[in-house]
Amino acid sequence: MIKKGLLLIIVLGLLSCQKEGCTDENALNYNPDAQINNGSCDYNVTTPYVLNIPFAFPDMLIPENNPMTVEGVLLGDKLFHEPLLSGNNEMACNSCHNRDFSFSDLQQQSTGIDGINGDRNASTIINAGWSSSFNWDGSVTTLEDQAFEPVTNPIEMNETWINVENKLNANTEYKQLFKNAFNIDYIDSIHVVMAIAQFERSLISSNSKFDRFYRGEETLTPSELNGYAIFNSEKGDCFHCRGTQLFMDNLFHNNGLDPEPFTDLGHSAITGNSSDDGKFKTPTLRNIEVSAPYMHDGRFFTLEQVIDHYDMGGHYSSTIDPNMKKVGIGLQLTNQEKADLVAFLKTLTDSNFISGK
Amino acid sequence: MIKINLISSNLSERIRYFSIVDIYDNLKVVFYVFLLIIIFKTKEMKNIKYLTILSLGLILLTSCPPSKFTPDSVNIRFEHYAGGNSTINISGNSCLIEDTLLYTNDAGQLYSVQNLDYIITDINLTDEEGTVLQELRDIHYVTISNLSSLNLSISSILNRGEYRNIEFTFGLDSTKNISNLYVNEEFHTRMFWPEMMGGGYHYMKIEGRFDNNSFYNTHTGGTMGVDYSFKKSFPINITTIEDGTIHEVVIAMDLNNWYKNPNTISLTTDGIMGNMQRQMELKENGIENVFDVY
Repeated sequence: MIKKGLLLIIVLGLLSCQKEGCTDENALNYNPDAQINNGSCDYNVTTPYVLNIPFAFPDMLIPENNPMTVEGVLLGDKLFHEPLLSGNNEMACNSCHNRDFSFSDLQQQSTGIDGINGDRNASTIINAGWSSSFNWDGSVTTLEDQAFEPVTNPIEMNETWINVENKLNANTEYKQLFKNAFNIDYIDSIHVVMAIAQFERSLISSNSKFDRFYRGEETLTPSELNGYAIFNSEKGDCFHCRGTQLFMDNLFHNNGLDPEPFTDLGHSAITGNSSDDGKFKTPTLRNIEVSAPYMHDGRFFTLEQVIDHYDMGGHYSSTIDPNMKKVGIGLQLTNQEKADLVAFLKTLTDSNFISGK
Repeated sequence: MIKINLISSNLSERIRYFSIVDIYDNLKVVFYVFLLIIIFKTKEMKNIKYLTILSLGLILLTSCPPSKFTPDSVNIRFEHYAGGNSTINISGNSCLIEDTLLYTNDAGQLYSVQNLDYIITDINLTDEEGTVLQELRDIHYVTISNLSSLNLSISSILNRGEYRNIEFTFGLDSTKNISNLYVNEEFHTRMFWPEMMGGGYHYMKIEGRFDNNSFYNTHTGGTMGVDYSFKKSFPINITTIEDGTIHEVVIAMDLNNWYKNPNTISLTTDGIMGNMQRQMELKENGIENVFDVY
């Protein structure tokens, strides 16, 4: 009885002799004939991109499903400058987000491929990894989501994502770059925006003259110091929205640009809350010297005009920010104080960032 | 196998408790094993005696297990009033309360509250002499722009005993009020206080309208590096038998009283962050009767 049992076991054992190899479809050396996984699976390995968090900056929150890699950032950089993303193959992200202007546009409102202008000024892209929302009205909350819309917007790049995918998949260099960065064989829109987001997160500015002063490495001129004092006291009162090294606050404010009725409702279009009428995102003041014109509609072309606006106290409206407490009264800055404030703002220019070093 | 559970509720708190029932669980296993051995080896009637003793033992163990001791929790609710009973209306969805001129301060000014933000630190349970028995929370940021901050849950922290007193510091004392110390906290940007005005963080911001269309900003903090924070202490009555009870505590703030006693303060459109006299007056009023606990 036992002998028969043993014989059966041996026969079954021989019959079930199975091929060993890598059985994971996602691995680079996947063997479809293999039935037993022998641990030989080889996966694409990307190189982590080391983010240096500058002094006195918070940690950067990076989405778990899109970690920063050297390959991803490289690919994102190339895509950011890629005219194939537009309907006429002539316009790329950097057409309106030019590094020379801290990734913004010299024009008040940017022009799309068909010569049509938008309503709002192109935002800068700088230290974007610390922002919790994007676009002047805060319509999206991630960099990945933000990158979808300009490609398909008819007055911007006016292209479809299917066309973009086809163009990129027909390009052997892109096929290889996407394989390196994401280990995918078909390039899809989601991975395009993921790469662009990684590139944008790598755009960190923290080496302006002010940064060096803050770290104790350099001194400011008396005019710049006085401007700093005005900025950071209740005389100028700028720090309430632009305090900390980020020089922005991830909040939405109505800074008294217009009385009611507003032509652009801003944040309330997203929240559906009328108490958000006329409120816009606080952009960073870093590199402000080079990113004119200013405000959501680009109405001010010089820093002097911006300061004059705040100096007069702003225009009253029902949703004006309570920090604009000098509305109707004004800050009463002297001409020298205004010049000092401009001098301070210019210390926020980071020439390394602008030149791409 | 005695389990040790380490619970960390804060930057500086840990408690341990022994799970006594686990000892009994293990003894039960031992008994079952013995029972099985005896059943297999039973050939004669005499082993029935041992079997009976074991069975009785098992029944006793399973029918009266000792109760598990679970440390109690504390839930602190922050409530806000403006003059006696009128509760500040916090509309559900919006980050702002109803911006209507509802409240009157002692100077006779009608005012509204649009923003209310403050930082409370070193919330502790103490005995009647003020000796800290249990630290509850190192630092907590209250803001009406985030309603979940109005509830502070501190789980499984109270050991058996009686707690007669709660204390907290309003604002940040000089050991905590340091620029960039809380760079990763939610309040780092919003409560930033410039280095040239003393550094650190705002203790509090009350902002809104007064007298129709003027705006006031009641901002307190460490002006010129002076520590204007203050400690408050209140009697409470918490007794724990470690049965997992959640003890509710309310810390209430009456906003009118910031402007009331001993100093009558009028709202103006002037900033007060650099005004040491105003900061001292607000601190004195704050100590007097801004807070209540129940």
